[in-house]
Amino acid sequence: MSVASVPFSFGRLGLIAGNTFLEAVRQKLFLFLVLITLGLVLSVLFLLTFNFGSSELKFIADFGFGALTFFGSALTIATTAQLFFSEIENRTALTLLAKPIWRAEFVFGKFLGVFAVIGVFCALTIGTTIALLMVREGQILAAATDEFEARSLIAYGDLLVVGLLQWLKFGVLTAIVLLIASFSNTNLFTVVTGFFVLVICHLQYLARDQWSNVDNILLSGAVRALSFIFPNFQLFNLADEIGQGSGVSGEVALRVAGYGLVYIAVIGGLAVYSFRNREI
Amino acid sequence: MTQAVSAISIKGLTKDFSVTLRGVKLRAVDSLNLEVAEGQVYGLLGPNGSGKSTTIKIILGLLDATVGDVRVFGVPANKVEARRNVGYLPEAPYFYRYLSGRELVRFYARVCGVPAATLKSRVDEVIAWVGLSGAADRRVGTYSKGMLQRIGLAQALVHDPKLIVLDEPTAGVDPVGSAEMCDLILKLKQQGKTVLITSHLLAQIEDVCDRVAILDRGKLIVEGSVQELVGQRDRQALIVDPLPPAEIEALKGWLAQRGHSLNSVEQPRARLDQLFLSKVSRPGRPGDKSAGVGSNEVPISDKPKA
Ligand SMILES: Nc1ncnc2c1ncn2[C@@H]1O[C@H](COP(=O)(O)OP(=O)(O)O)[C@@H](O)[C@H]1O
Ligand SMILES: [Mg+2]
Repeated sequence: MSVASVPFSFGRLGLIAGNTFLEAVRQKLFLFLVLITLGLVLSVLFLLTFNFGSSELKFIADFGFGALTFFGSALTIATTAQLFFSEIENRTALTLLAKPIWRAEFVFGKFLGVFAVIGVFCALTIGTTIALLMVREGQILAAATDEFEARSLIAYGDLLVVGLLQWLKFGVLTAIVLLIASFSNTNLFTVVTGFFVLVICHLQYLARDQWSNVDNILLSGAVRALSFIFPNFQLFNLADEIGQGSGVSGEVALRVAGYGLVYIAVIGGLAVYSFRNREI
Repeated sequence: MTQAVSAISIKGLTKDFSVTLRGVKLRAVDSLNLEVAEGQVYGLLGPNGSGKSTTIKIILGLLDATVGDVRVFGVPANKVEARRNVGYLPEAPYFYRYLSGRELVRFYARVCGVPAATLKSRVDEVIAWVGLSGAADRRVGTYSKGMLQRIGLAQALVHDPKLIVLDEPTAGVDPVGSAEMCDLILKLKQQGKTVLITSHLLAQIEDVCDRVAILDRGKLIVEGSVQELVGQRDRQALIVDPLPPAEIEALKGWLAQRGHSLNSVEQPRARLDQLFLSKVSRPGRPGDKSAGVGSNEVPISDKPKA
């Protein structure tokens, strides 16, 4: 008897992603996201009661991106680990993986589901930041009569590009956490290791600046290898370029996006490889 | 192919788990050989920890065999296509509690590639078949154990597989629920399905199995058809009205004249579970209008009557 082979299916991958997203929505994870965003908005409004004068808009933008980077990283690690381990610990993975599906569909489905959840968080945070900026910008423009001429003070396009790159960075982080989860036994171990790797990814450029030019070949080689294995998260941080000179360069943004996508593909591939051998 | 392919073929299966960091191994399944022919209801019996679930997980490709060859309809068990024709109800199943029963079955149906045109009717059909029509829109998180087993059976059947693997489908379920599960298994057999079922409660599935294998510490200790194993061909029981002692003596004499002997006289007793089943109200049957609450739940109409 011959049984037809089962081709890799993006449809099934999408189903798993959709179900992961739905879990986040129905398990109140989303409510949590909205509350955090609301808290951020309220706190920036509170801070704005002190008058910052002309640098106020920059302050709002920095505050928004700071919140995005900080809460986004924490949320990405926690959400990825939670949505992965809820499937393992509740043994729903048994039922799902006993269906004619590829483990790669499971891993990338989880990835996409989490990526969408984080996307909503990014959209909420950046959306509120932009809304605040627009309101304040309007007020400042109205107050100043001819000084600014009615030109826009904020490069909103750049803001969006930087926000998208942050989201992509969280995608890389999601892939990293999935890779850790694929061989780890517990949620806690995954979260702790995830934070550890996050710190390395943010700070690895320091090591490279310090040590890659030292004479010791072993040491510089090790540092180089390290900076190759761990993605450099500092690259994604283009927020400082908003409103400076010619703004965020499209070419740089594209290169950073490519860098992120390559890391997602490679780390995701490793996660699939490791998960394929996992005993469920 | 001319030669019939077994639904499940297990040859020389051994499974070791590393249970300590120092690499001490635990042998969960030990040189197991089994053949399950198509169309059979096959019982895999044994005490807790005897390796039943491990064997099943290997059949489903969830675990890899340490040694041995496991095939499902001739396809090696670790291949994705081997699972095309298999439905699986895990032990003590637990499903996405944030989905309703219908959403759950629908999700698995789509994962299994049930065509969109027949999706809705197929989902409704299996849900009705397991008798959960009325509870289909409730969240799975609110289901009782028996209902979880039934929704689990529905998701296992939704893509119309030829082989259905049920791991302890009656464990932790009351006698009414297990009797219903046994009825459903017999119906599957009538539809020509192959069913592999495990249990540590031997009597419960004795009535539904054609063949059984008994495992102990991962080793196969007994295998054969239920008739061969427990049927006593050289005995017969006659059930009669109560007889006074004199008549029993007369009967003995009558039998002795014909070269037979009366071996025992007993008071037949109803089995306790049969008594239970006859006294306890049975929940709604498939297709029944009242079906919708779990075994012993009392429905409360949510709309107050005006
Ligand atoms: N993932 C695992 N890691 C280590 N040991 C396991 C694992 N799964 C099962 N075992 C052991 O294998 C043996 C058989 O387990 P199992 O197949 O679940 O038994 P059964 O289903 O017959 O009750 C048990 O001793 C159990 O402790
Ligand atoms: Mg078991």
